[in-house]
Amino acid sequence: MTMILLTSGAVLLLTSASFVAHEFLTFRYSTVRNLSTLGQVIATNSTAALAFDNAKDAAEILTALKAEPHVVSAGLYDSAGRLFAIYPQGFKSGGFPQRPGADGYRFEGRFLVGFQPVLMGQRRLGTLFLKSDLGALFDWLRLFSGIAAVVIAASFLLAYLISRSLQRQISEPILALAQTAAAVSHGRDYSVRAAPVQGHELRLLTDGFNHMLERTQAQLSRLDLLQKITRAIGEGQDPANIFRVVLQRLEDDMPIEFGCICLHEARDDHLTAGTVGARSMPAAASMGIAEQTRIPIDDNGISMCLRGQLVYEPDVREVPFPLPQRLATAGFRSLVIAPLLIESNVFGMLIAARRAAGAFTSGDCEFLRQVSEHAALATHQAQLYSALQRAYDDLRQSQQTALQQERLRALGEMASGIAHDINNAISPVALYTESLLEREPNLSERTRSYLVTIQRAIEDVAETVARMREFYRPREPEIVLGRIHINRAVQQIIELTRARWSDVPQQRGIMIELRNELADDLPELIGAESEVRDALTNLVFNAVDAMPNGGVLTLRTFLLGSQRVCLEVNDTGIGMDEETRRRCLEPFYTTKGERGTGLGLAMVYGMIQRHSAELEIDSEPGKGTTMRLIFTLSVPDTAASGLVPVLVPPQSPLRILLVDDDPILLQSLRDTLEGDGHSITAASGGQAGIDAFAAALASGAPFDAVVTDLGMPYVDGRKVAAMVRAASPTVPIVMLTGWGQRLVADDEVPPHVDRVLNKPPRLAELRVILAELTA
Amino acid sequence: MRQSSNTFCGFVLVIATLISLAASGLANSAVETSPEYQVKAVFLFNFAQFVEWPPQSFEDAAAPFVIGVLGTDPFGSALEGAVRGESINGRSIIIERYRSVTEIRHCQILFISRSEAAHTGEIGAALAGHSILTVSDIDDAAQRGVMIRFVAENNRIRLRINADAAKAAGLSISSKLLRPAELVTSAG
Repeated sequence: MTMILLTSGAVLLLTSASFVAHEFLTFRYSTVRNLSTLGQVIATNSTAALAFDNAKDAAEILTALKAEPHVVSAGLYDSAGRLFAIYPQGFKSGGFPQRPGADGYRFEGRFLVGFQPVLMGQRRLGTLFLKSDLGALFDWLRLFSGIAAVVIAASFLLAYLISRSLQRQISEPILALAQTAAAVSHGRDYSVRAAPVQGHELRLLTDGFNHMLERTQAQLSRLDLLQKITRAIGEGQDPANIFRVVLQRLEDDMPIEFGCICLHEARDDHLTAGTVGARSMPAAASMGIAEQTRIPIDDNGISMCLRGQLVYEPDVREVPFPLPQRLATAGFRSLVIAPLLIESNVFGMLIAARRAAGAFTSGDCEFLRQVSEHAALATHQAQLYSALQRAYDDLRQSQQTALQQERLRALGEMASGIAHDINNAISPVALYTESLLEREPNLSERTRSYLVTIQRAIEDVAETVARMREFYRPREPEIVLGRIHINRAVQQIIELTRARWSDVPQQRGIMIELRNELADDLPELIGAESEVRDALTNLVFNAVDAMPNGGVLTLRTFLLGSQRVCLEVNDTGIGMDEETRRRCLEPFYTTKGERGTGLGLAMVYGMIQRHSAELEIDSEPGKGTTMRLIFTLSVPDTAASGLVPVLVPPQSPLRILLVDDDPILLQSLRDTLEGDGHSITAASGGQAGIDAFAAALASGAPFDAVVTDLGMPYVDGRKVAAMVRAASPTVPIVMLTGWGQRLVADDEVPPHVDRVLNKPPRLAELRVILAELTA
Repeated sequence: MRQSSNTFCGFVLVIATLISLAASGLANSAVETSPEYQVKAVFLFNFAQFVEWPPQSFEDAAAPFVIGVLGTDPFGSALEGAVRGESINGRSIIIERYRSVTEIRHCQILFISRSEAAHTGEIGAALAGHSILTVSDIDDAAQRGVMIRFVAENNRIRLRINADAAKAAGLSISSKLLRPAELVTSAG
């Protein structure tokens, strides 16, 4: 408004000023013209007066100037420049110039003065002087300025009034609109609306503005919803969760009246209803759609959606396909099916419906498409994540297993080497003891008793060494198999370990209650009962150790299915943490400090492996531990031949070549076999053995049998066997080895060898073998 | 047309000096001209500016403007001095002097000297029908039919004009000339 007033005021001022200036100039010009005209008239009239020197007449002529009040004085000079006549009469002649000035008119102060030549033809008769007072001009200017001022003031007032009125009509609505816009932008409140106004154009503007706000608000609320959904999706880890969250948000906030996500497997001819929105459940039930319901795909909207297009049916009543018809029966009219796309593969669809026809705008459709994209992406990521997690778990499991196996393998190798040495060392003891007991009838009772003890001790050592050597092995083909009555074994162990779980704790005032829950009529297992007993003993010991403050120890057997027998040892002790649980089977891993060997559970594990059984460990710190041994019933492929000692009748004497790098073993074996009447040639090394065999063959007295050690420096038992076999295809070759089981396991019996015999060799066994081979 | 011959209109004052000057002028006219006749010479020339002559009063378009003096010439060389270098409506000006009215052929302004005072009636009759502006300083000249008479008044020279006579001669006298003059009509 100030601008309007200033503008109109400036225009008025300029107009008036230029008008005044123009008028002023025009007035001056016309004043000069008037005066000069007057001068000319007077001059012309004065010619005669001057020509005939009539001053009176001249004065009379000048008197005519009375009619021009602005002419304040006038004078007529003659040709000599003398003042000839003056006007008005009696005016002081001092008021006139002494001499006429230059011809022409000029302004002097508030006067206009002029000198007009008085001519008669070509002759100059004199000069007329005129002096005009311009007071009139200034009076006129003042008047004019006054009028201009009044006009300006009036115009100003008018402009003010008009602009006020205009402002009320135009500026105020626009200002109000601007204020609304500012309020929206500052407060971020898009629900604000501009007030409606009068006037066609302004109403269009306001309506357009409000429409824009509505659209912005709608877009923002969708954006907000999309963000909420995206955030919620990010928190859901599995597809079902994600779908539930998406549907819940859509139902609550968009809102839709029916929402459901169906899944599609490639090459299937149907969809499977996956997740139905919580609020859509009743409608879904009325339509017969529940989770896992199959929805057939035919040439309808669904198939279009399967090609990745969003499908919108404004009115499902007019769509003659099963799914829309189903929705129509439940009272829905408009339907949107949005594809869930991953890498251009549609793996599912988002189905949204509303009860009103045409209830989805293009913005709604676009929004649903975006939601679908997000949901699909999140689902895909969740799937990828779980696959990754699985792969990682598998990898970790494999790594653990590999690590454990490698550890066991290393231990096994070490154990194998130790076993070899021990077996070598105790072989002579075993051989001589057996030999003495057999062949010396005159031994005193005491001596015999000592020798029997030595023999049993040697056997125990051998067995222990064998077990230690083999606990890593997956299968023990030479296991001593028998029938195991599991309940009986449990009862025996309860009795055998009573001291540990009852007597010792009681001395310290601790009560351990032992329960046995043994299922009746369990089938017998095939296996080594002693190993099972050993394992069970270890488990009971561990359970007791885990309950330093007492508790309940439960031994339980039951049938698992029809083919598996389960043996459970359960305690209510301290339990194991994750780390302990993972490592408890490792050899030498112990939580018992100095008291433990770290071999107990390793032994158990070895037994489990040898029996093709399974071991399950349930444990949690503070909640006790359950060790579960699961045996599978199977028909043993090797019958329990067992070691039935066969008393071999005395054999015909044989020529036997003994090859071993250990002189003591060689000597003891020689002694015992010679005791049986055989003829023995001893070779203290591989090469020596080959040479001896070749020499005997050459001398025409070949050996009937060869007994060779496996592990020898330079030329080992395999080479000896090969050379011997090359020289004589039929001679029996028996191999002695401290690594017997491993050898058998690794590459079976070496070529050319007829039989393998473990160290320490038993005389009885050797006899049987020799008898068989030479028979 | 009435001849100015009857009434005496106004009085004539002849200043003693003027008279004496005129007397001396008469005695020695060729040498000295009195200031009075110098003024009258100028006036004679000035009349040409306020009077219009009919074209037939000139012999042809290139004919000079003739100022004539009839009778004894009182001007001496003053008349020549007054018209020197001047022209009237593009016509050169010549001064002619006549002893008798019969000598007049073409003349526009004719000054009738005092010497002819006795013959004014004849002169008037002789000039009738000619567009000649007659000027004189003879007393009662205007009343006797002379168109303009110089009158000495308060040491100034005034004009007394017989407009009827001029009109009768076909001359038109500018009103400007009439303003400073005193108008008379022919007497008798």
